Amino acid sequence: MDHRFQVNLRGVIELLSHHLYSTPGVFVRELLQNATDAIRARQHLEPGHPGTVRVELIEKQDGGLPTLLFSDDGVGLTEEELHRFLATIGESSKRETLEARRNDFIGQFGIGLLSCFMVCDELLVVTRSAKGDGSTLEWRGRHDGTYAVRASEHPLERPGTQVFLVARADAAEYFTAERVRQLATHYGGLLPFPIHLTADGRTETLNPAPPPWRREYASVAERRKALLAYGREVFHTDFVDCIPLRAEAGQVEGLAFVLPFSPNFNARQKHRVYLKDMLLSESAENLLPEWAFFVKCVVNAQGLRPTASRESFYEDATLARARESLGQVLRQYLVDLAHSDPRTLQRLIALHGLSVKALALDDDDFFRLVIHWLPFETTLGMMTLGHYRQTYPSVRYVTNLDSFRQVARVAAAQELCIINGAYTHDTALLEKLPRVLPDARLELFSAAQLPQRFEEPTPEEHQQVARLRQVAQEALEPFRCQVTLKKFLPVEVPTLYGDVDEGAFRRDVERAREETDELYASVLEGALAESQEEEEKPQLCFNLLNPVVRRLARVRDVAQLKLSVEMLYVQALLLGHRPLNAREMALLNRGLLGLITARLDEDEGTGGVH
Amino acid sequence: MTEQDWREQVRTLLGRAERLEPGEAKVMALEEATRLADAHGDVPLAYEVRDALIDAATFGGFPDRALVAFAWCRGQQKKDPERFSPEQLLWKQKWVVGRLDEFPHISLKQIQGALEDVEQCFAKAGAGQRAVLKLRYQVARDMGDPAADALWAKWVEAPRDHLTDCRACELDDELDYHLDRGEYEVVLKKARPLLEGRNGCAEVPHLTLGTVLYPLFKLNRMEQARDSHLQGYSLVRRNREFLATVGEHLEFLTLTGNVVRGLRLFERHVDWALEHASHRDRFTFYTASLALLEQALVEGHERVELSLPRAFTLYTPEGAYPTRTLRDWLAAQAEGIAAKFDARNGTDRFHQLLSRAKHLGNEVVPFPIDASLPS
Repeated sequence: MDHRFQVNLRGVIELLSHHLYSTPGVFVRELLQNATDAIRARQHLEPGHPGTVRVELIEKQDGGLPTLLFSDDGVGLTEEELHRFLATIGESSKRETLEARRNDFIGQFGIGLLSCFMVCDELLVVTRSAKGDGSTLEWRGRHDGTYAVRASEHPLERPGTQVFLVARADAAEYFTAERVRQLATHYGGLLPFPIHLTADGRTETLNPAPPPWRREYASVAERRKALLAYGREVFHTDFVDCIPLRAEAGQVEGLAFVLPFSPNFNARQKHRVYLKDMLLSESAENLLPEWAFFVKCVVNAQGLRPTASRESFYEDATLARARESLGQVLRQYLVDLAHSDPRTLQRLIALHGLSVKALALDDDDFFRLVIHWLPFETTLGMMTLGHYRQTYPSVRYVTNLDSFRQVARVAAAQELCIINGAYTHDTALLEKLPRVLPDARLELFSAAQLPQRFEEPTPEEHQQVARLRQVAQEALEPFRCQVTLKKFLPVEVPTLYGDVDEGAFRRDVERAREETDELYASVLEGALAESQEEEEKPQLCFNLLNPVVRRLARVRDVAQLKLSVEMLYVQALLLGHRPLNAREMALLNRGLLGLITARLDEDEGTGGVH
Repeated sequence: MTEQDWREQVRTLLGRAERLEPGEAKVMALEEATRLADAHGDVPLAYEVRDALIDAATFGGFPDRALVAFAWCRGQQKKDPERFSPEQLLWKQKWVVGRLDEFPHISLKQIQGALEDVEQCFAKAGAGQRAVLKLRYQVARDMGDPAADALWAKWVEAPRDHLTDCRACELDDELDYHLDRGEYEVVLKKARPLLEGRNGCAEVPHLTLGTVLYPLFKLNRMEQARDSHLQGYSLVRRNREFLATVGEHLEFLTLTGNVVRGLRLFERHVDWALEHASHRDRFTFYTASLALLEQALVEGHERVELSLPRAFTLYTPEGAYPTRTLRDWLAAQAEGIAAKFDARNGTDRFHQLLSRAKHLGNEVVPFPIDASLPS
């Protein structure tokens, strides 16, 4: 007797293939999942039942499309269960219902079967329940929504379920021995009972259980070699090390592989995760604490929940505890290295400094252990904090790149070693220093204070530069720039533009205000009113050791002197990579024309242009 | 620097920014690229870079940067509408104008002017009223303007068009209205599709998971509240754009008596608040922190161990702070912001919010959370 489903089966299949599954190949996962569930249910009834999954590819003699047979010796279905399963299919017209149904055995069974219609038009299920009267039932369903249930003419000898899929012409690619082997190994490679594949007259076992991290190895070296080889096979990467993982919460175990290159900052690694021995995802991201982005993992969890999309683990308290335990394992690995093999740890820091820094930030003991090995950029090049502190009594740092650049221009000549704290975590790490290591001295350095370190002119020099000072102050007043005159190295630097912390942004605001319309010019003024209340001015520091500046001090022509000061100001801005605003641009143009005119005048005065 | 060099450098910076997550590093890379383009007077390139900068600053927690970059682009667009199409800027205009009220020194007149201007620009582009009505509603709500209710009603009735926000954002914004009215069941009902992942975008469900904490708490759905906190906090903890949402998580931890966990959040995020351009978001964070420290006192913590940033006014290298001192500092910050906003807005909304925070201790129902903090 034929029946019709109460739903448009095509609609459900559409839904499955477009929203639930990323590729038709997942029908293999779904069938393995069904077999696994059935075997576990039977093991529950009959402890000690080993369980086996057989997959057979049956080629037609006449060259027609092949049939794929999945059989298990699991619990099987009773007639009542078969009807419940059919009801499930009938209700499975919405994604949410489908998702909810996955949580029970029958629901998952039905949804799993539906996925087969992505690759075949007709499905035959033959099943005998371990719980029932020993009869065998068969269900034959078609993609158009018709189905028939009856007692089977070929009863099964033992409880279990067989699923026959006849290939559809446009999905024949999924019905080759190679593809089936690849898919079954991919999804079920860690299953704790054997999957036998029979094709082309041969039978092989696809999953040499147990998983690699549970196997026995002849030696530690053997083990390391085998596990790294496994890592290469899974991720196509030659990892530098391999760390066994284990967490009680969520019953997680597996391996973490240390990446051989520095990942992008905070690039969340995609891990391969198995849930109850079945592959859940190859791109799970939320498994490890965030600092641990220096490893890629393969793990199997017995006690975590999947997300609705089955792409990752569901974020709950168990996962949070598991993540903490796994973080502890990785931390312990680093701690052990610090004690037993510091050179390896230093190599690891060179590759994965950011991970190590992130952990040190959150963990005082770890901080103490590694802080002196961590590298920082300084005005005299990269060096570890340990090296820095051996040479300099006080740790001096700036917090942003702009300050660092300003300082760097003169630092080498001044023998100033300043750490650039602009990189991720660096400032926070340094500021943690005095709290964790009470003997450490820390000094926040500001580029704006730089001139205070420079040598003052003598009273005599003061007099000599009085005119220059006055002209410069008047010339730069409209630009809200202060003037100082000092002596500093290197002598080649005529002026140093010293900016306050937000100086570059304030200049951005100035340019935007010049360019925008009336409405937004007024809005900008309002938005930044507060920061201007507390504004410190930038300053231009003239270097009295510089020959040009020394000559300027002797110039009597005030107009000429003003022009030169303005040009030095513009030059200092440009050297500091600061875009000019409209008034400064006008200054530059006027200055250049002025210089050319002056030069031409000179030439004409001495005999004209040739 | 040769022609080739600097253009290449701008491209490199743009490429780097594209790979970075929303946040400070991304904004800094784009600002540097902007300055390079400006320094070489390449207006089209500077416009292109700023276009990316507005996005990065908007979604990375730097509304002041977004405003400044937008103002510059708008100037160019007005000068040369042929070259710089107005349409492209309309989305960004919405983002920028929607946050003007968060700067206490921008006057009501300027805010109204900017809103009128949005209305005109959108009308010119053939868009309906929906987007501007939502902006007007949100600004009115933020400022405690009684007109907010009427604006809400008009907004949700107006038809959608090509310039209205995505469905997920709109739905998330609707939650505020029900939250304000104490309609907690409605909040949760409307939030469901967002929480179940049926609608989502760059900031949803990040924001949503913070919004539902109080309703869940009030309805005594503690397990779900805890999971929302765990999931939500891990989504927002690295982007200062979510400073106010972190405040909501702090408030939840206070309400459930998880003071130690709350202090960890406070020490981790206070540096965002110290510098954040949105004084409204600062306020949300400070008031929640204030409630947290009050609760710490109730539980007998006279001193708290915190690793605070150097820029913090009361910073000590030892990292031990008298709880009362911190509390007083927070109260002063919150009061200062509330005074500025209420004076500008001509309402008492911020003082009301502050008073609510001060009395939050009365609502505490202990529910310990023992999961570790994501690092």
